[in-house]
Amino acid sequence: MKRRDFIKHATLVSSLCLVPSFVKAFESVTSQVMGHKKLVIIQLAGGNDGLNTIIPYTNDIYYKNRPQIAIPKQQLIKVTDDLGFHNKLLPLKRIYDKGYLTVINNVGYPNPNRSHFRSTDIWQTASDHNEYLTTGWMGRYLDLYEKHNYGGIEIDDSLSLILKGEKLNGIATKNPAILYNNTRTPYFERILASQTDTHLSEHNLGYLYKTMIAAKSSAKYIYETSRTFKTSQEYPNNPFGNQLKTTAEFINSGLHSKVYYVSMGGFDTHAGQLNKQSRLLDVFSSGIEVFIEDLEQNNTFKDTLILTFSEFGRRLKQNAAIGTDHGAANNIFIIGKHLNKPGFYNEDPDLLHLDTNGDVQYSIDFRSVYATILDRWLEVNDQSILNKSFSKLKFI
Amino acid sequence: MKARHIQHLYFRAGFGIETQTLESLSLKSRHEVVRQLIKDSSNVEHLRIDLSELEALMNLEYRQLKNRETTKSVKALVTKSQKKLINFNVAWIERLTTSNAVLAEKMTLFWANVFVCRDNNIWYMQRYNNLLRSNALGNFRDLVKEVAQSASMSKYLNNRQNVKESPNENFARELMELFTLGIGNYTENDIKEAARAFTGWSFRLNGDFFLRRFKHDNGEKQFFGKTGNFNGEDIIDIILEQKQCARFICEKLYRYFVNPVKDIDHVEELTNIFYADYDIKNLMEYLFTRGWFYEEKNIGAKIKSPIELLVGIHKVVPVAYHQKQQLIYLQKLMGQVLLYPPNVAGWKGDKSWIDPNTLMLRLKLASILLNDAIIDMDVKGELEDDFEDFYREKANRKRFIKTTKSWGIFDSKYEGVSFEALKDLLIIASVDKDTEHFMSSLEVSDKRAYCIQLMSIPEYQLC
Repeated sequence: MKRRDFIKHATLVSSLCLVPSFVKAFESVTSQVMGHKKLVIIQLAGGNDGLNTIIPYTNDIYYKNRPQIAIPKQQLIKVTDDLGFHNKLLPLKRIYDKGYLTVINNVGYPNPNRSHFRSTDIWQTASDHNEYLTTGWMGRYLDLYEKHNYGGIEIDDSLSLILKGEKLNGIATKNPAILYNNTRTPYFERILASQTDTHLSEHNLGYLYKTMIAAKSSAKYIYETSRTFKTSQEYPNNPFGNQLKTTAEFINSGLHSKVYYVSMGGFDTHAGQLNKQSRLLDVFSSGIEVFIEDLEQNNTFKDTLILTFSEFGRRLKQNAAIGTDHGAANNIFIIGKHLNKPGFYNEDPDLLHLDTNGDVQYSIDFRSVYATILDRWLEVNDQSILNKSFSKLKFI
Repeated sequence: MKARHIQHLYFRAGFGIETQTLESLSLKSRHEVVRQLIKDSSNVEHLRIDLSELEALMNLEYRQLKNRETTKSVKALVTKSQKKLINFNVAWIERLTTSNAVLAEKMTLFWANVFVCRDNNIWYMQRYNNLLRSNALGNFRDLVKEVAQSASMSKYLNNRQNVKESPNENFARELMELFTLGIGNYTENDIKEAARAFTGWSFRLNGDFFLRRFKHDNGEKQFFGKTGNFNGEDIIDIILEQKQCARFICEKLYRYFVNPVKDIDHVEELTNIFYADYDIKNLMEYLFTRGWFYEEKNIGAKIKSPIELLVGIHKVVPVAYHQKQQLIYLQKLMGQVLLYPPNVAGWKGDKSWIDPNTLMLRLKLASILLNDAIIDMDVKGELEDDFEDFYREKANRKRFIKTTKSWGIFDSKYEGVSFEALKDLLIIASVDKDTEHFMSSLEVSDKRAYCIQLMSIPEYQLC
């Protein structure tokens, strides 16, 4: 190859997808290998206002503190004697009615941090409020229980802390063809092709080559496997819908990945909250409903558990800009087919006893939720991943 | 001094070396080279961007802020400030690329990841950044004290909220845990008492330090076995009396400048030097003149940070970005945006820069910057973004980084340099033998293309 061609090739990173047709033949086999448990983690990034999502509609304190943004009783979907869903959560209500949803209220941690970055770190690394970890809780799961990058996939183009381990990282992609092509540039492909691999050391150079080899094999595996399945569902046409569609294609094609992470942005509603949040909850719940249908149709829902969280909830008292500021404890959703306690897992938020900032206090440490999922769902040792023992809950 | 050793020195103390500099230094002794390196950094120029439009406002007193007009201008300031921070980020990278005070600039970058701080207010952040720069090769004691009294740090770690009636321990804790001693080398009581000593430390609107006398706790404190009416400066002096403080810094320094795997004896050697007077310049001169610094196992042992990688490329082929935002975007995708550390613990460095996604981009970076390669990775939205903005960069973005490349400068600089010499200049790590073999099978004709190719092999990721 001429040097000039070599360089030229480097820039040709469009979609040259040459995929063996025999891959198609495996389609029918995949259903047999789909038995493993999968976890889909969705972050509602920015801090979703949980109090306007699941509304305590009989609580006067709620209405007094939010004269302009409280959701009126007649505009919500009542589900219990004192809690109702935001009316854009109708699809989620249908999920709830099937017994697929558990809402856990008042989830948080001691000494809550109100910075997006810091609190996201805390949730993603499962650290204490004053502890700085450089690996994510799912990254540590990969370290201990997985062998390949594709063990954990983020539906994006860069990897978040949650999937970074000490020894093994997850891999990020929202388009497997592009990911695969990025490992087929001359620098990747031709250099790797000439690798005999036997002399690679534990030093940094060996580490780089090994990372390249692993990345290439994961990218190839994800691409070739996921393209055997094309969804027949109509997903809402928005970026979050696309993220879920990609996730469903990964799961339904029988990819041996255990963990998926999706971040949906836009929840930092400091101003003009009502319209913004309505739209977000609509995007969220309509997407989730199609996603579940897609999984059910392919018989993979029974092996999939979905966890949604935000880095924090929002303040009870509305602000001057008809929005809400950063708060503390919040509700989380657990979605799955075989839940122990569908509906509401615990007590309503206590609006009478707020913390000194005027925020909802936590009664369940988020790491108890993680511990439960690790122990009861992924069936691994939660303590070695969370570095500590947390009491387990009974939602699964 | 051996060319390879000069190169090693300049990769660590700076961002690589140019052929002319290398030639001029190769006749000198190691001591002379190091002394020259330090002398080049004796005049440190502050990094400043145009902040004139903020001047009037930032020079007010707090009590003048109350009226409606100024409240409005404060709000406008916040928006302006964010844009200015991007300008400052770009100016900083430009500075790293072009400055002759290479060591001072590299040390500034090092200290920014020791005394980690983040502040959306550009006025304070520029001061903070220059505080690090002025003290980069000065005395560590002055550096710690100035950091402790800076507006940005006071904001970042809530020292401003630290008052006699209800002490806030945040700054006192991180000062010991992350800045000077390391976890396990102090007690919870030391933190409580130190926090009391820092009560009342505040700053004026322009960023100057002042003590709010009525908020300061004048009582007796017990700290590291001593008892007295200590103030914050006394606390810092007592911390520096602990040899662990010198050791803690020397460990970080060793990992950053020598090898990510520490050698206990060498760290102890540095600690003894540093503990004597906390003079940073002496410490660096000592380090760079040690024989062990130049041992083969230390050469090319470090994974470049994203900034080292970017600046290293810029230094070989000067690149001007048509949109500043795109330079930020590259930093984001590689996981290191200057002025935006992930948290107060800073960037962990070395292997943690590398994951499958960052490595793909890093290997492609030279093609992206110098050869208009397509970049098909989207950057994440910000947590404060609304839904559209969060996903905005993901839709129909032109997949190029628009740059003007000064190849002419490259051509004239490397005109007389052989292909082999160019390789030795750019790649310090010993090249994997299969890759070496593969490269030698390629026909060599064009120096520019060869340069891009060298920057695209995994070995270029190391320094």
